[in-house]
Amino acid sequence: MAIQNVIAFIEHKHGAVRRVSLEAATQARVLADKLGGKVHAVAVGPGAAVAAETLKKYPVDQIHVSEEDRFLDGAVDALESVAKSAGNALVLVGNTMLGRDVGSRFAARIDCGVNADVVDFTTDPSTSSGQGVAAIMPKLGGLVITTCAFAGDYGVAAIRPNVFSAKETSGAGEIVQIASNGKASTITVEDEVEEAAAELGVEEASVVVSGGRGMGGPEPFTTILKDLAEAFGGAVGASRAAVDAGWVSHGHQVGQTGKTVSPPLYIAVGISGAIQHKVGMRTSETIVAINKDANAPIADFADLLVVGDAFAIVPALTNLVRDAKAAHA
Amino acid sequence: MRRPLDLEILTGYFYVVGGPRGFLSEWPPVPDEPGREPGFVRPEVCALKILVTVKLVPDTNADKRIDPATKRLVRTGVETVLNPFDEYAIEAALQLKEKLNDGSTVTVVSMTPATGKEIVRKALAMGADDAVMISDDTLAGCDLWGTSVALAAAIKLQNADIVIAGTQSTDAISGDLPGMLAEKLGIPGLTYARTLEVSDGRVRVQRETDNGYMTISAPLPALVSVTKSANEPRYPSLKGIMGAKKKEIKQLAAADLGLTVAVGIDGAKAKLIDLATPPVRGKGRVVTAADADDGAKQIVDFLKERKFL
Repeated sequence: MAIQNVIAFIEHKHGAVRRVSLEAATQARVLADKLGGKVHAVAVGPGAAVAAETLKKYPVDQIHVSEEDRFLDGAVDALESVAKSAGNALVLVGNTMLGRDVGSRFAARIDCGVNADVVDFTTDPSTSSGQGVAAIMPKLGGLVITTCAFAGDYGVAAIRPNVFSAKETSGAGEIVQIASNGKASTITVEDEVEEAAAELGVEEASVVVSGGRGMGGPEPFTTILKDLAEAFGGAVGASRAAVDAGWVSHGHQVGQTGKTVSPPLYIAVGISGAIQHKVGMRTSETIVAINKDANAPIADFADLLVVGDAFAIVPALTNLVRDAKAAHA
Repeated sequence: MRRPLDLEILTGYFYVVGGPRGFLSEWPPVPDEPGREPGFVRPEVCALKILVTVKLVPDTNADKRIDPATKRLVRTGVETVLNPFDEYAIEAALQLKEKLNDGSTVTVVSMTPATGKEIVRKALAMGADDAVMISDDTLAGCDLWGTSVALAAAIKLQNADIVIAGTQSTDAISGDLPGMLAEKLGIPGLTYARTLEVSDGRVRVQRETDNGYMTISAPLPALVSVTKSANEPRYPSLKGIMGAKKKEIKQLAAADLGLTVAVGIDGAKAKLIDLATPPVRGKGRVVTAADADDGAKQIVDFLKERKFL
């Protein structure tokens, strides 16, 4: 036997589904059609029933829900029961903190392979049909592209956000309640604190506007860079230098010790383009840089480098982008 | 077939973990009793055996490249370093030990070829008490699953109370190992922690979220992975470096782990079937802005050309 079914693990907050999970649900259909299997979605925790309503618009055969609130354990137990009932499955999770936590625990429990930061899928010629599934992912900071197949009947792929598309269709998945196993969670959630307004993360934004050492302080991150990002409907990122200086929080950091992003458009402002930053963003489709130094390393891999004063160019650019967007609206 | 050693850099064969006594074998969780914290393992013993996992990775600053003919990493001159993320784990372990100040100890554990001894010494120089190295050619080519199986088996032998790991490595960047280890060890896994405290047999952390944090806790034994927000790793002192030479590094081979399943390249559940180099990103256009408006206009024209606007 080989993998035929695909399970999308759905991340949601009180029923609001994370975009990468909709990408997983959509991609699950593409893969299951090739493999000749079914698509399942698994949503657990408070609000799962609301999330399931959203999923009805996506091409999923069965939507498994449980409102039980058991941090991590609930999701892993649910995936395990759905996967075992299906007999074989590739589990798609988002390559996010929660997705990795749930996917990795599932893989360890069911003894299957796990591939992280997947950007594409292909066929595995070594399977009996020659059509088995394999995952493609960059490693060593994008230096190499690896293709890994799954041995056995199960596998986990953590998909990079913003790479696969999410498409609504006329799907009308059947909602199935997950039976409680009566276990308590080993981890107690004591409280949850929001320190910043909920905003689009750099990993999921289609446009990322990042600032570096050249920003000189915290203020541009909440003014000119934020304005430009908002004009695009994107997110603000940062280089390590800016984060280490305390100008912006670690959650915004792109690069080796931060997040890896591959948005359609990446705008680097006052960022020299050191290797530690480059490894986190070089797979962006288009890279535009604004820098006062024409010889900064970023000149070697930016599609366009504009040499000039970022503090003047960025606000002017924001105005032009707003005008262009308004003209289309 | 490629030789396993060619894969080691892409897969898991480089891990180290650290801590003092041993948890799962000697101190199974006890049933809840009135007046006792659920799951508190050894109320009569306060000192903890803290284990820290560490891994050897290629230096990001080194000029890494793949030989286009053999598709192998060109190793000549590639510097290897202690995984930067693991330095936060070591620091967190040392801070915990210092705060407890009750005879608790820190043991470093690494699954690494013999060449990894240097990074284990670095962890010892930072202040860890002793180390365990799991080195065996049959472990080369382990995928994440194989690494979790072998490393968990080695950790079980150490009888630790708490395992501290970095969130990910800079080469594979999967971030999956801490969760897999927790599952294989059968203990709670508190990941992405930016703070860490232990009291009354429980570990409590602030887990980073996308726009803040959540406070989570669990009974010991447990595994914690710490983020770079957790601390500022110390540099080894001269005294530490000298002292590290005298500290014990226990060597384990695959046979010592009592594994009942095949790991290494043949047992891998995720099988590498192709390795390619991505197309090189060429140098793009470089233009000089005459003034702010000119700079902005040049960008907008470019974005229109690429259909972003």
